[in-house]
Amino acid sequence: MVSPASHNGSNNGSGAPARSRTVRFRIQRCEGPAKPSRWEEFDVPVEAGAGANVISCLQLIAANPVTVDGKRTTPVVWDSGCLEEVCGSCTMVINGRVRQSCSCLIDNDAPNDGDVVTLQPMSKFPVVRDLWVDRARMFDSLRKIKAWVPIDGLHDQGAGPRERPKTQQTRYVHSTCMSCGCCLEACPQYKLEEDPDDWDTAFIGAAAIGQVRLFNKHETGAELAGERLDALMGPGGVTDCGNAQNCVKVCPKEIPLTEAIADMGRAVALHGLKKFFRGK
Amino acid sequence: MADPSHTIHEHDVIVIGAGGAGLRAAIEASASGVSVGLVCKSLLGKAHTVMAEGGVAAAIGNVDDRDGWQVHFADTMRGGQYLNNWVMAEIHAKEAPARVLELEAWGAVFDRTKDGRVLQRNFGGHKYPRLAHVGDSTGLEMIRTLQDHGIHQGIEVYMEHTVTTLLKDGDRVVGAFGYDRERGRFRIYKAAAVVLATGGIGRAYKITSNSWEYTGDGHALAYNAGADLVDMEFIQFHPTGMVWPPSVRGILVTEGVRGEGGRLLNNKGERFMFDDIPDLYKNQVAKDDEEGWRYVLGDKEAHRPPELLTRDHVARCIVREVKEGRGSPHGGVFLDIAWIKEKMKNAPEHIKKKLPSMYEQFKELANVDITTEPMEVGPTTHYVMGGVRVDGLTQMSTVPGLFAAGEVAAGLHGANRLGGNSLSDLLVFGKLAGEHAARWAKEHGQGHIDAEQARDAEREALAPYERDGAENPYGVQSDLQEMMQEKVGIVRNENDMAAALDAIAALKRRADGVGVEGHREYNPGWHTALDLANLLTVSEAVARSALDRRESRGGHFREDCPDKSDEFAKHNTVVRKGPDGSMQLRREAIPPLRDDLKKVIEEQK
Repeated sequence: MVSPASHNGSNNGSGAPARSRTVRFRIQRCEGPAKPSRWEEFDVPVEAGAGANVISCLQLIAANPVTVDGKRTTPVVWDSGCLEEVCGSCTMVINGRVRQSCSCLIDNDAPNDGDVVTLQPMSKFPVVRDLWVDRARMFDSLRKIKAWVPIDGLHDQGAGPRERPKTQQTRYVHSTCMSCGCCLEACPQYKLEEDPDDWDTAFIGAAAIGQVRLFNKHETGAELAGERLDALMGPGGVTDCGNAQNCVKVCPKEIPLTEAIADMGRAVALHGLKKFFRGK
Repeated sequence: MADPSHTIHEHDVIVIGAGGAGLRAAIEASASGVSVGLVCKSLLGKAHTVMAEGGVAAAIGNVDDRDGWQVHFADTMRGGQYLNNWVMAEIHAKEAPARVLELEAWGAVFDRTKDGRVLQRNFGGHKYPRLAHVGDSTGLEMIRTLQDHGIHQGIEVYMEHTVTTLLKDGDRVVGAFGYDRERGRFRIYKAAAVVLATGGIGRAYKITSNSWEYTGDGHALAYNAGADLVDMEFIQFHPTGMVWPPSVRGILVTEGVRGEGGRLLNNKGERFMFDDIPDLYKNQVAKDDEEGWRYVLGDKEAHRPPELLTRDHVARCIVREVKEGRGSPHGGVFLDIAWIKEKMKNAPEHIKKKLPSMYEQFKELANVDITTEPMEVGPTTHYVMGGVRVDGLTQMSTVPGLFAAGEVAAGLHGANRLGGNSLSDLLVFGKLAGEHAARWAKEHGQGHIDAEQARDAEREALAPYERDGAENPYGVQSDLQEMMQEKVGIVRNENDMAAALDAIAALKRRADGVGVEGHREYNPGWHTALDLANLLTVSEAVARSALDRRESRGGHFREDCPDKSDEFAKHNTVVRKGPDGSMQLRREAIPPLRDDLKKVIEEQK
């Protein structure tokens, strides 16, 4: 929708004519954990070509929180960080699809006057308030799969192991995971678990499986490969994946998550066999 | 007795801020066996470091073995125009390689040379290829590695907590007071030592590349606790930030675009950077398009294109073009990388491979395809060289028990910072601060928390709820940002800055009348009201220091005194809170450089 003319050096005018329109935001709101949710609607004026995104519209709503019925309400709460789709903080469900709100351009997603944009918090994490959710379980999963290289920082060990550029490239794509939660929201097997006691047996999800691949492919990191595969065995492990392949479709960084799941699935099976024959 | 409504968290060391410096400090302190609490405003892993693109500077010498700490030290001092704390510059140059290799050992994914070692790239001001990097998302990888490494060490993390005040016992800092953003409940973080790692002050300006967290919290906490701030006049304005659309104004466009051949053009299509080349660099700049392109291709005989002159110079040239009516439609200039299709086949693929994040950033955020269209760019507030004055050997501030590392600390960069030196700064001095904070904690033990101080801090934090709400916090904040942008920005003069100080005084009175509505559970209006006091404090420090320095040097440019002065080369500017609560400024002589380091600089000239 944005006219390329406005970015063109040969055109020193103001670009395409600005077209004012109104976009209706339908937002699922909630006062806090375990409180009921409700819907509120806001009309936001948008100029075509001015690059409005969901966050800039939420800022306008925050500055003047009045619903379409003329009722004054509280500013909508959401989380954000970098505003350039690097940190993953502002992930939410927009028109039914999970994505980062900073990179959701209104001109693309609501091009016509009266178009509706629906905003909901991710459903797989407990709501803190409105569009803000608690993603503590993602950190717990990183702990569970031992997402680190087992070295203490007490003395200087010198350089790390050399790494072939090809291995580096495989690992690189997994290193771009920003723990945004999109793959978990879209996964039919990953469920909302409010009680941390249930985290160990519920499906761990694609993000953590991708990180196992990242660390098991590292020469020193591989010292814990067996323990990481242990974490992916049994209930909640990689075999709980139902192969819906939604994760890879919604990942904003296009991480090959299904490839990682297949790869780790094989590794876990092999690991299980070895354990069986060793009798432990 | 402490107030029972204040939850107390007790640790040997509290680190405030979980970017690169804070995480590295926490890891180091924790590794030495003390209990560590890490307090951060956002989620773990989302701090501003995550946005760093170019790389981390360290004289490893993997690509050019002529590199070494001496060259890196001399480059850093030259970039800082010799106002640097040379003790820090020496430690930094010597230790950066070990810190980067340690990160490699912890599993960080660096780009690799053909034989599997860490690859290093060229960057402005560094004599040899020195920046270890991961594509153009080095910050994300650093944060991920540090976070993953820290996660298993038993560090207690208080996510989405904000500190409002440091608590003292006599002269010494013994903890901090703050609240959790989710519920608005007050907390006391009791600690034998406190490390500030809160980053910068970019949100004092309207156009900035910095995230919302950068409200100068650590600068203000230290200042209010009686610590010295130094070099606050020096702010780096990055020449290329996005200017359009408005929702992304200020977001960084990496220097890498120009490094890969990007040209800056005005609305007449002229490559204006050729028109103004400083005498100092006359012999180091390409004479035409053709030589500039050969440099990009790696021809060691060719000189750099003028777009790769120092950041402050490029920023001022862009301001001039816009001022004189040759700007782009939205008040910037054009940055064109698409043109390289004249020089190579597969140019679009090449651009996507070399600048993946930039390609995505423009496509996702602005609907612009940089492989076919020019970008619109303009200067953006990027980094503050000034900050908490620290002892170069221990990172302790002038207040006992209070340490600082990373952007919130000052000294390493002097009057201007070289690209890549901030990520190495985080690692080297984050480690040092963590080590010495832990040692201090072991030697001194816990101090006494004064309940009255905590109650005062609570009263102050709740004051906005007591007011009628006549003044809206967002309104005052945006007026401050507008004013700082206009009067204490890239080009400064005495009248504007005197006017800025008056304006800050008036804004402070307005801030005292700011009211908020609603309850304390996640209330962004309240958070903004509390951040406002910090922004006003750092803005005053910047304006006062900039007014006093009657010369132009590094990140500080005065149109009324456009040259460097020998007199001002001899001192740093220091501000401190006076006994009457007003800001007091003094000039402090720079200690003479050690003879062996003097020799190093001479040899590298």
